Amino acid sequence: MTALPLIDVIGAWLGIFLTFCILSFLYKDNPFYKFAEHLFVGVSIGYVVTLQYQDTIEPTLISHLTDQWWKIFPLILVALMLVKAMSRRYAWLGRFPLAFAVALYAGLAINAVAQSELGAQINFAMHDLDARKVDLNTADAKTLGGVPGMSPAIAKKLIAEREGHAFSSVDDAVSRASLTPAEQADLAEKRGGLVGLDAKASVTPGEKDWFGIASNVLLLLGLLASLLYFYFSLAHKGVVGRVSRFGVWILMIGFGASFGYTVQGRIALAIGRALDIQGKTVAPEDAAAVHGPWAALISAVIIVGGIAFWELRARKKVTE
Amino acid sequence: MKKTAPLVLGIAVGLYACAEFYIPDWHVRWLTQELQTWGTILAAFAYILGGVNLIQVNYPKIRRRERDWQYKIVMVVAAGMMLAAGLKWHKLYQSGEAGTVAIADDHGGAAAAGKATIVIDAPADVMVKVGALPAQPARDAAGKPATFVVDAGKVPVRVYNRIAGYRDYDATLEVAPAKIATVSVDPAMLWGTKGRVYNWLYDHVFAPCNATMFALLAFFVVSAAFRAFRMRNVEATLLLGAAIIVMLAAAPIGAWISDDLVDLGQWILDIPNNAGRRAIMMGAAIGAIATSLRIVLGLERSHLGAD
Amino acid sequence: MAKAHWTERLQRFDRRWLFLVMGLAIIVPLIFPLGLPIKPGPMTKAAYNAVEELQPGDVALISLDLDPASTPELEPFYRAVVLQLKRKHVKIVVTTTWYQAPPLVERWIREAIEQPLAPTYPGYDGAPDGAYKKNVDYVYLGFREGREATILRMGADLRQTFDGRADDGTPFDKIPMMTGIKQLKDFKLLVDVSAGYPGAKEYVQYVQSRYGLHMIVSTTAVSLTDLTPYYQTGQLDGLVGGLAAAAQYEKLVGVTGTATAGADVLNAGHGVVILAIVLGNLVFFAGRRARKRGAA
Repeated sequence: MTALPLIDVIGAWLGIFLTFCILSFLYKDNPFYKFAEHLFVGVSIGYVVTLQYQDTIEPTLISHLTDQWWKIFPLILVALMLVKAMSRRYAWLGRFPLAFAVALYAGLAINAVAQSELGAQINFAMHDLDARKVDLNTADAKTLGGVPGMSPAIAKKLIAEREGHAFSSVDDAVSRASLTPAEQADLAEKRGGLVGLDAKASVTPGEKDWFGIASNVLLLLGLLASLLYFYFSLAHKGVVGRVSRFGVWILMIGFGASFGYTVQGRIALAIGRALDIQGKTVAPEDAAAVHGPWAALISAVIIVGGIAFWELRARKKVTE
Repeated sequence: MKKTAPLVLGIAVGLYACAEFYIPDWHVRWLTQELQTWGTILAAFAYILGGVNLIQVNYPKIRRRERDWQYKIVMVVAAGMMLAAGLKWHKLYQSGEAGTVAIADDHGGAAAAGKATIVIDAPADVMVKVGALPAQPARDAAGKPATFVVDAGKVPVRVYNRIAGYRDYDATLEVAPAKIATVSVDPAMLWGTKGRVYNWLYDHVFAPCNATMFALLAFFVVSAAFRAFRMRNVEATLLLGAAIIVMLAAAPIGAWISDDLVDLGQWILDIPNNAGRRAIMMGAAIGAIATSLRIVLGLERSHLGAD
Repeated sequence: MAKAHWTERLQRFDRRWLFLVMGLAIIVPLIFPLGLPIKPGPMTKAAYNAVEELQPGDVALISLDLDPASTPELEPFYRAVVLQLKRKHVKIVVTTTWYQAPPLVERWIREAIEQPLAPTYPGYDGAPDGAYKKNVDYVYLGFREGREATILRMGADLRQTFDGRADDGTPFDKIPMMTGIKQLKDFKLLVDVSAGYPGAKEYVQYVQSRYGLHMIVSTTAVSLTDLTPYYQTGQLDGLVGGLAAAAQYEKLVGVTGTATAGADVLNAGHGVVILAIVLGNLVFFAGRRARKRGAA
């Protein structure tokens, strides 16, 4: 691999310095943060304007003005948008492109949302509440692959095994000779009567998964109760009130799950910056050229020193 | 008239966009594609108007020396730099030819029968990939050009800079046996959205700032968790309880504590979460359909502004 | 003036100390990793299996709908799935619907698709991958503004959406791997790497249901709970949500990447947040009891 050019090493240092400028906001709003923020906004605006012109406007409009006469219409709409930005008196002309875009996207959304959000979801909600265990002796590879502890490779082996000799029990299936010790360990890890391998699979056809049935019932009841909570044409009193309260509890558990994942997402963003500075996201040779942790230390010292100086100056002004 | 005419346009377009789903005629499909293209053009131009607005809003602030006016200059200059970097200046002075090839006889060369030699004459900071051989720098540590002995015939050659913003040389050479093909390439620096400067500013200003702005949230979430999240009632307790279980289950520590914890976290996602989400989805879908219908039928006019 | 109760002082203390604790919780595990084992979950396994079902020569679409901020959660999955696709000799078509993405996407293509990925993973001992050639093994379509309108256009007529040519100007008719690819449903699998809007939800709403596409999604943790209903209904064949799930995917593919390193840090990060919630509530309730006693 060729060496990282010096300008890119300097660029990496600049990126680390700007990272710490923005992180300095955690102390308080300060000139370093303001500088980085305004630099970022300026670069973003310049970036998006050039990109949108070169990647969308130019290939879809400008380059077809001579061979597709109907492109005069979007050109007129674009001109009307510009008139709205430039003139107060004729700003009302900007309503045409706005009405066009809003109505177009609204019209497209009706069918899309009805099909995927209503149709597919109602269809699923109406499915059979019954839950059966997967029959290890007859299920196809795809169904077997969905059982806890299984992989497509294990599923293939089990299908081959049962052709020789049908499984007499789940214990029999998971201890067959063709399975490697690692595969047997994977399956053993997922044994369990509630949601594990023993709950989801059996060797007799039609055996019920009782916890699965209870879960399906709760899923349906939770859905109906939550929907009732959003139904405001009935007063939420008495039975309706109690069912609606149950719906709130279901919603709260869902929001709790959301919050848990949101925390993970937020922390991941900070982890990403830390990995970048550490040099774990680039090739080792490039990381060695950049010396990220040293650049981080020097940036931190500059910024801490700068903020200290700025605070002292501000305090002096106050006392004067 | 000032509101009615745009409204009529909106109704016509909206009704068409709704009806096209049910009409499988290719004319209709063509018109739908065309209208969607117009929508994308308007969406793209809105961003460009944002750039115009930047100047409209900030230039008076700079002129009047309002608060933080110095930072506004930084912002406007940065936008100008990025705009300038985004223009394809190389078209003014570059010929467009990426490289030249010279074929000579291999007099007394090391090439065995049926083989040919390819020599890459390029700067040391570019990479070369010839045929199926692994990519390597164009010059070795001693500065000698990369030389490849290949089977005669069609050989793909690619000379490129691993940093974005340079013109690649990518061609298939036809080399006869016992010939030396010397490929002279100096990947030219490009400007524009695929250019060196544009990508440098993106990689070293836009990307780190964008990422760090969002990374601040990790710190604020801890502060919010300590100060604001209170188990004041049953609902709040359920929320925080589910959050704690899911946080533990999602991280590797959950499996280390107990596999049952992980299974519980997954069950919370599959059953209560999906039940509530599905209800919200259906309710939001009905709301979206109702609002969209109001717009399409011309009953909703707030997006057109006041008279 | 009477000194404030210790609970009131604790509730009002400078939150910058909490920021410092969080900072340490992120930095320390990166220097001293715990190395806890990672166990793939069912949704991640389903996504992996969907890719494993592809055959050599099949064409898959990867839609990279993201920005630089979401790379910690999404880039590890992208690299792992590209390695998986390349070692199966599946052809790849790449596009994006986010304006923040193109330079990032082009760099990811150069680093992961045009170069062999296997050597970049220390200790990887699985099947190797090769360097893919532009317009032979992979095609980059580029970016078009328009969000759901662009997604709809791709669903109905992919070629018209991109003016009949790849991002470098090569006409689709001159690219053999694009033969027969006219709409999204012509791809054997759609892999959406989605950071938000437009992304997975819009693909499901506007094209998956309409054309019956096979789709797997890798998304940020924030969006995961919004998409699990689609996975449950079968509209998605697999769902990889967040950094932890990306680490699970890396494990399934057989690599150790940045998600695996980052998942370790999640242990400490989540621990700090859970501790903050528990302590905050303990302090609050202790203070409430003290106030009640004081009032009495």
